[in-house]
This record gives sequence, C-alpha cells and structure tokens, in this order.
Amino acid sequence: MKKHLLMVLAFSIIASCVFAAGPSIDLKTASWDSIVAAAKAEGSITFYAWYFPDYFKEAAADFEKKYGIKANVIIGDQTANFNKAIAEKDMQVGTIDAMIVGGQWVKTTTDLNLFYGPIKNILPDADKFAATSWEVQEGVLINGYLAPFHRNQTGFLYNPDRVKDLPQTWNEFVSWINAHPKEFGFCDPSKGGSGQAFVHTAIGALTGGLEKYKGDKEVDPAKVANWNIVWKWFNDNKDKMTITISNNDSIIRLNGGELSMTIAWNDGVKDALSKGNLFKSAKMYIPKMGLPGGGDTVGILKNAPHKAAALVWINFLQSKEQQLKKYKMVGSYPARDDVTIEDNVFDEEELRHNSVPWFPASYKDYMIKEFVKNVLMK
Amino acid sequence: MQEKIQKIPLYIRQARRKQSLTTILTAFFIVVQIIWVGLPIFMAVLWSLVDPDHPWSFPSILPEKLSLAQWVYVFKYTNIVRALKTSYMLAPCAVALSFLLGLPTAYVLGRKQIRGKKFFETIVLLPMIMPGMVVALFLSRVFTAFGLAQNFFGLVLAHTLMALPYMIRLLATSFEAIPQDIIDAAENLGANTFVKIKDIFLPMIRPGLLAGIIFAFTTSIEEFNLTFVIGTPTFETIPTILYSFLGYNFIRTNASVVALIMMIPNIILLFIVEDLLKFDYLSASLGKL
Repeated sequence: MKKHLLMVLAFSIIASCVFAAGPSIDLKTASWDSIVAAAKAEGSITFYAWYFPDYFKEAAADFEKKYGIKANVIIGDQTANFNKAIAEKDMQVGTIDAMIVGGQWVKTTTDLNLFYGPIKNILPDADKFAATSWEVQEGVLINGYLAPFHRNQTGFLYNPDRVKDLPQTWNEFVSWINAHPKEFGFCDPSKGGSGQAFVHTAIGALTGGLEKYKGDKEVDPAKVANWNIVWKWFNDNKDKMTITISNNDSIIRLNGGELSMTIAWNDGVKDALSKGNLFKSAKMYIPKMGLPGGGDTVGILKNAPHKAAALVWINFLQSKEQQLKKYKMVGSYPARDDVTIEDNVFDEEELRHNSVPWFPASYKDYMIKEFVKNVLMK
Repeated sequence: MQEKIQKIPLYIRQARRKQSLTTILTAFFIVVQIIWVGLPIFMAVLWSLVDPDHPWSFPSILPEKLSLAQWVYVFKYTNIVRALKTSYMLAPCAVALSFLLGLPTAYVLGRKQIRGKKFFETIVLLPMIMPGMVVALFLSRVFTAFGLAQNFFGLVLAHTLMALPYMIRLLATSFEAIPQDIIDAAENLGANTFVKIKDIFLPMIRPGLLAGIIFAFTTSIEEFNLTFVIGTPTFETIPTILYSFLGYNFIRTNASVVALIMMIPNIILLFIVEDLLKFDYLSASLGKL
C-alpha cells in the first residue's frame, strides 16, 4: 500500500514538472506573433468568472473561431473562485489560467502574489487603456499585473412613479429618507460594492471630503479618528433605511416595491432589465454629491498551465470589438479609451462631473470592518 | 334540538368528534405543506417563466406574461447539460460507496458495545459540522497530492465523504433498533451469519438504508465546495451552476430555473423511496402491521 502511495506521489510530481514547463518561449520578451503561435500550441485556456455567462459564452465561441484555441469559461461564485485560486497557490501547476479580479479582491490577491506578470508590456493594446488603470486599482499598486477589463459606475436607481424630486446633495438625501422612511436601501458593504459606495459617500459628506485620503498606502489613524460621526449617523438613521444582502438584492427589493430608491451598479441594472428582474421604467442617476465608479480586471495565475493562451485571451477580451460587444450585451463600460459608447444609462455630463474615484483600498477595507463592527453588530 | 342530539348514541357522537378532529388535523397538515413546500416551488416555477420583456414587478401579483426564455437562457449559456450528467453519475456512485464504507461502521456503532462509542459517533459527524469551504480547502491539498483532483474517482470519494455521516448515523440507528430476541431466535433455529444478514439485518435496516440513500443522494447532488475546488474546471455539477446565480451575482429568474432542474429529480426520488418505505419490515416482524 505504502509503495503504491509513493508511486502515485512520484507520478504526480513528475507530471507536475512536465506540465509546469509551460511555453518554451520567454513570454516577456517574445514577439506577439510567437506568443500567439505558442498559445495555439497550448490549445486551450481556462477562465474563471462569476457573471455575464451569456457574454463569455459568445466570446469563447468567437475566440475559438478566430484562433482555434478552446476557451473553457467557468462561471462560479466570486468568493469560491478566489478560494480555489488561493487553495491552488502552492501547486506547481494549477487548473486556472486566468480569472476576473473583483475590486475587493485586488488587495488580497496582490498581497498573496497570486498573479503572473507584469503583463502590461506583453499585451499589444495596453496603450489603449488609461495608464493609471494599469498602475493602481482600488487604491492598490498593481504595476501592470492586472489587465483592465471593464468599468462600471454606481448610481441611485429609483422608481420614477414614487421619486419625483431627486436628491442631489447629502442634505437633500437626508431630508428624503426622513420623508420616506425605509424606502431607501443599500447593501451591506461587506456583501457588495454598491453598499461600499454608499458608505464611502457618507464618509465624504460627514467628515469633510475624500481628498485627504488620496495617495495613502496605509490607514492614517488621524484621518479616520472622526469616522465615529459616520457610524453615529448610520445608527441614528438605521430605522429609516433598509440594509440589503447583496447588490442584486437591492435591485430585487426595488422591483418588488419594498424600496423606492437604492444604490446600484449600472451593469447590474442593465442585466436585471434584460432578464425581466426589474421594471422597464426604472431610472438611474449620479447625484451631485458624487458616487464612485469602479471596474474589474483580469489576471493570469502564476501557476497557469496555459500562459500564452491566457495572454491571447486577455488581449481578445480587451479588443475594441469585444469591449463594444460586452457593453451592448451586458452594459458594462469598455475599459478602453478609444471606444465611444451609445445608449448610456447615465448622461455623459453627469458621468464626467459626478463620478468620483474610490479612496485607497486600505481605507476601504477599514471602512467595511468598522461598518460591520459599529453599525451592523450594534 | 337538544332532544334530537341526545337521541344520537354516545359512541357515534364520539366517532364523529374523532373524525372531525382528523379532518381538521389533515387540513392543517395540507395547509402547512402548501405554504412550506408548495408555495416556494410555485414561486420558483413562476420566476423561472418570467418573460424578460415583461418583468414581474410590484404591484403585479402574477407575472404579466410567461415564457420559456429563462430556461432557454440557462440551457444556452451555461454548461447545465454537462453538469446534469456529472451530478447524476456522481450521486449513485457516492451513495453506493458510502453504503459499502458506512455499513461496517454502522454495524459496530449500532450493535456492539465498544469503548468510546459516543466519541466515535461524534467523530463520524464532523464533516457535517465543519464549514464546507474549510473542509474543501484542506482536503483539496490531500486530494491533489494523491492525484485525486480533477478526476471522477476523486469526486466520488469527496462526495462519499460528505454523505458518509448521514449513511452511518441512519444505519447505526437501524441496527440499534433490531431486537436481540429475533437474532437469538434465528440462531436457535440454526441460522448462520449469511442467513442472519440476508433475512434479518438487511430487511430490518431497510427503512434506515432508504433514508440514508435519500440523504446521501441529496447531499451529493447539492455538494458545492469540494466539487468546485477539486473538480472544476474538468467537472461541473449542478450546484456549481446554481451558485453562479445564487451567490454574489444573485439572479432570481435564472436561479429559479437551475433550482427546479436540481429539485425535480430529487422529488421523484423521494416519491419512489416513500413508496418503497411503505413496507416496514421491522414493524411487520414485531406484529405491528
């Protein structure tokens, strides 16, 4: 028995070493044509995501048609995807080639050194994206390891039959929730980015703006000393608002008539509209007090078995055609700078003036933990 | 009127009262079942049939228009067919293996007086108590080291591990319930070990075995964490598809479709097993039927 087990172990190690060899070329110095050739030789790529199964299924078919490389897209759950990637971190060869990296996972995955790179200098269309999107995501330095994939924006989603005067400033918003108790909902910030966006806005409004956090890598205790004002405000007004359990739960409750207004992501709204989960008359806007926008990136795992194919897949997802196709199908904004979009849910002017950047990720992490401790657990 | 009632014999009045009570209790049971089981299924069916162009929104009590678009979406854009095949191939294998592995343990726990019996009974239940993802993360390393990740046999083992506590617990209880008198009587009549297993143990543990099969089968069909970590991308099961619609990116319409796909075969299985359970060998042997 022991002998058999040793044989299995030895076989696994040898097999790992053989497969770990990966492409025979150095991807960081090779020409793009030779990377494409290496990708074709690898023959397939495994990509993990947790949304847009419709878009990715079509993208995979387009990719196979164009390059003859099979794209195996696994639509899982966000947390489960990262748990799997982390569980496979120390394997010589993993099972995931590339994956979407959601905003709240940028810091964790970067700290764990999970991704191969930098890939910015390998991808031929890298200069078509804002230079900052390759450098910093969610306030974390990513140094070209994660490829920008899409952008999205939070806004107030409302039922126009019930909300006539749209609150634009923080004071107007507070008056509105006083007049309409329980009709505004936001998701638990530990469960979704739209809730984080709302608490982020509240911090900005109640503690003198968000500028002071800019550029900080770690939380400055002096700058968060007055956040207790924010937690007090939430506790005082808890009974006037509804806390939901996810981004989509907020949309579902608005559709069900429980809420009149909520905070949501534009692509989540578009998805809900296209699937019959939200009434067609629902409207969205970004108030003048500002709401943050975000975006997801794609990374190649360090132990990916098909790195060349993963690079070609990312380049394909970043192409103009695919960025536009994705916008048309699921409503997430292209990350490219050279793409013009139509039928935007937000007014261009509104988007330019009222969309604000997130404060650094360290503050975001701190904000979520403190919100849970000081508001949810109180 | 009072005189008329008094003319009805007491035993008839008592029988009528008993019948009324039975009717009330039956009606109560039916109402509870409708609310508890029927209503969620009915809602899932309705949500799965919502037409994307006619959202089901407040204040509409029912969807404006029904269509199969959500079903078409799930079958067109997810790997549900592959997942169905894998799930329904895995579950019977996991049930069979958990029975084979669980039977000796259950026999010992149910029939033998061993030291530390309570301790072992608790140990057996550990996989149920620990959070699924924690078990999955630690076990994935073991499975990978032994070359059991990304292969069907590994998945069968993983599902067996999750199903074993139910199988062992239910079989052990069944073994425990067999009266020693019957075994002694059989021995006095010359029954050897094979005869005892065939004619006493197996028939008498049948209700527990069938309950164990149901639990093991549904546990396997619903298992997500371990399958996701050690099975994907090579294998996908129904819950891996379901979680993509139920988790962070909750989409009620699509989740309803996948939930129904997962639920319908299980309900059919329950009816089959319920039918088989009608003949309770243990009760029959004790003259209670």
